[in-house]
Amino acid sequence: MGDSVASVDSPGRTTDVDFALVGHQESWRAAADVLGVLRGPERTPLPDDEIRDILPWIPPRAVCHVDVGSIAGAKARGLYIDSFISPDRLEADYIRENIARVRAAAACAIRAGAKIVSLGGFSSILIEGNFDQLPERHETVFTTGNTLTVGFIVQGIEKMCALEGRDLRRSTLLIVGATGDVGSGCARCLAPLVRRVLLSARNVDRLRRLAAELEADGVEVEVATPLQQFSAQADIVICAASLASPSLLLGRIAPDAIVCDAGYPKNLSPNAEIPGARVFFGGLGQITGGLRFTPDFHGVLNRHPFPDVVQGCLLEGMALALERRFEPFSQGRGFITQERVDEIEAIAARHGIRLAPLYNADGPLWPAQATIGSALGSRESASISSTDFTG
Amino acid sequence: MELAVDLKRSLSNECTSLSLSALVWQDVLAQAMTGELVAAMNFTALSEICDHPAEVADALEHAQNEKGHAAAFAAEGRKIGVEVPSNVEAKHWKRIREAFQRRITERDFIGCLIVQEIMLESFAVASYARVGKVAAGSLGKTFASIAAEEEEHIGHAMAILRAERALDAQRFDDKLYRLHLEVMTILAEMLARDCSRGHCEVCHDSCVKPSLSEICLTTAELRGASLQQYLKTLDMLGLPGEVTLVWVTQLPV
Repeated sequence: MGDSVASVDSPGRTTDVDFALVGHQESWRAAADVLGVLRGPERTPLPDDEIRDILPWIPPRAVCHVDVGSIAGAKARGLYIDSFISPDRLEADYIRENIARVRAAAACAIRAGAKIVSLGGFSSILIEGNFDQLPERHETVFTTGNTLTVGFIVQGIEKMCALEGRDLRRSTLLIVGATGDVGSGCARCLAPLVRRVLLSARNVDRLRRLAAELEADGVEVEVATPLQQFSAQADIVICAASLASPSLLLGRIAPDAIVCDAGYPKNLSPNAEIPGARVFFGGLGQITGGLRFTPDFHGVLNRHPFPDVVQGCLLEGMALALERRFEPFSQGRGFITQERVDEIEAIAARHGIRLAPLYNADGPLWPAQATIGSALGSRESASISSTDFTG
Repeated sequence: MELAVDLKRSLSNECTSLSLSALVWQDVLAQAMTGELVAAMNFTALSEICDHPAEVADALEHAQNEKGHAAAFAAEGRKIGVEVPSNVEAKHWKRIREAFQRRITERDFIGCLIVQEIMLESFAVASYARVGKVAAGSLGKTFASIAAEEEEHIGHAMAILRAERALDAQRFDDKLYRLHLEVMTILAEMLARDCSRGHCEVCHDSCVKPSLSEICLTTAELRGASLQQYLKTLDMLGLPGEVTLVWVTQLPV
């Protein structure tokens, strides 16, 4: 490796930053790519078994600097901090270890002088409702970023319905993971727009409370934990459950249902037998004002078919930093409303942060979107995939 | 009946049965003892370049402590029926001594502290602590207590090193990086999964690494814990975490 990367003289040195993004890698492949960039191209790549040995021992720390631009001319500097939660340790058995890692990552952000910290999806689930467990914060504020995630999920559903010629008002909406912050936010935003809502989650008490809240507004709601118990088939599905791996088998949904997988890691099992469904990855946004990071991860981790695509939860912190609104916009569970979604979407849009083109594991859903993505990719900016910045 | 229960316990706790794995422990103790003797030599050499009598006394006291640790490891070996050899001329340890000696020749007190207290002690603290968790009885207690003592050493040196870094962080960090390339590369090779440079000249027979599982340890665990301790120590010194992460990921495996 050249001294220019390793040396503390490098421009990548930590200084006060506007924002920090806390995340982790969702797969060993992604983790290997991160370590591969850090190790440098002139060194032999670490074998997979060595990566599995090494990663769990790495303390949370900054991995790269992030510079984001706004179409309005604003700029913000940030850090991506990886908690180095191992991809095979996302289960409940490791919750204490993982909370400790998120706390340590938060401490890194505070030490770096970040004014606002966005927690990736999995990280915010760990801390959700327990923000007092974060280190003493001085002048750093934290946001889960879930409000913008909800906004992009809802926008994605609306876009899919429009493109597929579906009438949202006649739809039955199923939300899996409905009592989480993202799931309940989606329920509040979409329930008034659909004919009927099916809510599924493990915690029955929370499910009933959410159902009662929606029913009070005149929404027709059904709740169940096992998906097979619902009396109706959903034709729109949002998967927002906290799962350690893609293991959700949806079962009984309409054959041509629109399915938004907004999980991190992804919810839908590769074995889910829904051949006629239109599946897309939800909750993602795209930065159009420029995104650069140091060291250069460009092309290494970008598994998205489009450049500069990032999870909504992380984009929320970046949008707030560009807006110079350093406030804990999203915290706790169950406070996401349509008004708050409108507010953060307006902020994001002002700075050119918009819904990412829709795609799924097979690639872009419409070829035209890929063309748009390529055009954007020709801009002089390094792109970052959502896998850099998620979790 | 009581004997049967004891026998059962013994069988079910094979990993902590010292007699069954005495030869493995012999090699583990030999590495630890050699490391302590190298540390003692380093501190003795350090005393020769100290400017103040208090620093001289401090270095000599540290040297004496390290000799005491070596003696404690030898005694633990005897308790399980093995003689613990040491070899400060063994190839890796010799390279480390030579690296330290170069700092002595340059009368580089800070460089010496970085090598001994930040690099070597990080490895000692972390690996002894891991060994202390799996070793039964007094052997485990000895490793654990020496790990705690070594951690105190680091704490003492940290105050000096932090003050030095506060004077000129860039210069300090550049020096640390140069020493990292020189010394940490050797330590990483020592703790690599395989000894690519041949026999380490400390283990009594073949390499002990593949046998560590007999005492519920792995090379990966010792290496991981040691590098983690090193990174945390560098964090405490105030070095940027993203920079030290690059340093560590570039070490040999």
